Amino acid sequence: MATTEPRPAATQKRYRTLAVVKQEAITRVEKQLEDSVFVWPHLLVREFMAAALMTVVLLVVSLVVDAPLRAHSDPNLTPNPAKAPWYFLGLQEQLHYFPPTVAGVLLPGFTLVGLALLPYVDRNPSRAFEDRKLSISLFTIYAIFFAVTVLAGSFFRGSGWQWVWPWQHIYFDL
Amino acid sequence: MSTMNRGLLDRAGSYITSSQAWRSIFRHGYPDTPLNQSLVMMGNVFLHLHPVKVSRKAMKITYTWCLGGLSFFLFLVLTITGVFLMFYFVPEARVAYNNIQQIQSAVAFGNLVRNMHRWAAHLMVVTVTLHMIRVFYHGAYKPPREFNWVIGVTLFLTTLLLSFTGYLLPWDQIGYWAITVGSNMASYAPLLGAQAHNTLTGQPVGVGGPTLIRFYTLHVIGLPLAGAILMAVHFWRIRKDGGEAGPPPPARREIEQARAREMEVASLS
Repeated sequence: MATTEPRPAATQKRYRTLAVVKQEAITRVEKQLEDSVFVWPHLLVREFMAAALMTVVLLVVSLVVDAPLRAHSDPNLTPNPAKAPWYFLGLQEQLHYFPPTVAGVLLPGFTLVGLALLPYVDRNPSRAFEDRKLSISLFTIYAIFFAVTVLAGSFFRGSGWQWVWPWQHIYFDL
Repeated sequence: MSTMNRGLLDRAGSYITSSQAWRSIFRHGYPDTPLNQSLVMMGNVFLHLHPVKVSRKAMKITYTWCLGGLSFFLFLVLTITGVFLMFYFVPEARVAYNNIQQIQSAVAFGNLVRNMHRWAAHLMVVTVTLHMIRVFYHGAYKPPREFNWVIGVTLFLTTLLLSFTGYLLPWDQIGYWAITVGSNMASYAPLLGAQAHNTLTGQPVGVGGPTLIRFYTLHVIGLPLAGAILMAVHFWRIRKDGGEAGPPPPARREIEQARAREMEVASLS
């Protein structure tokens, strides 16, 4: 350790990162002031109230309505109709119209992949409703299609997946 | 008498807040000045996901309806109630149903906690779906938020799978046959149908003991862990992409009309 030669690392110029300010960053100094308020207390109060309200609603519902529990499972006793959880009843209803591979795999798969790719397919930069007539119409039609099939599968299907009006009988568990 | 009490309380309060222990936890005064309102947001790990200031328009309740935040809050409620239920539930086909009956009848607050877990789970599927629909209609998936939308889609799928795996655990006729119908859909996958069903249920046909332990493990650790990591990225990116998108700006036509009016005024003067 008696050497007088500086170690190689010390000869190199060293930098310290003080700050990196992106062009459109919220920390940008010369940005025009927008109409903003402090998160503490204005936003936090709203978040707290939303969480408190949700807790009260959940507590009241849970005190009044019991979670369902039917008989012990029996592999030899198939209920008629046997229904999937409610959010999959749209797919089960579509199984009634389309071949199983289409309704059971291709449609849900296409929906998820299509949703994930949406920001890369929809290249329209405007966020205004008026400029997005096509994407909003397509999305709305698709959402209505799923909502209607979920409702049909939930409240309008009985034994043998036959059409049953809700006022006749409801085969639905949550 | 009352003035003396207040004097004592004040002195006790300032003694506590000026103690070394207090100041080692909170490195700023009460957030009622702009400086302290900034320091509290920057110095607290739970609060720092928020910016210090937020645009008044984006904060409007009727803009977001708090749907994303409520989904996260329901996830927290489900984690707490779920840990409670884990104390009493054994994922074994012969005892699972019996455990649920015991939770309902013999465990203190067991029925209430199970009800809360069930209803919060259904509600979370609803809030997550509505959150996604709301984000679509506001065009908030557009640049720079494209990838955060993709993470949101995987979080939506995680939520559905969390609900689906939890549905089997009571081991009653509802869950058993719902999962049988649901997992049969996987066997329609082209080429890999049988393998998909086998991987999901742990057996070639139907649903049984191996399915219960698989769904339980995914439900209590696999999916919540994946969800928590995805949520961390999701929330962090909201901040990094400039916070909430805010209400949609005016349409192209309105911008052009405003420009035309300006030109007219300029040409008249």
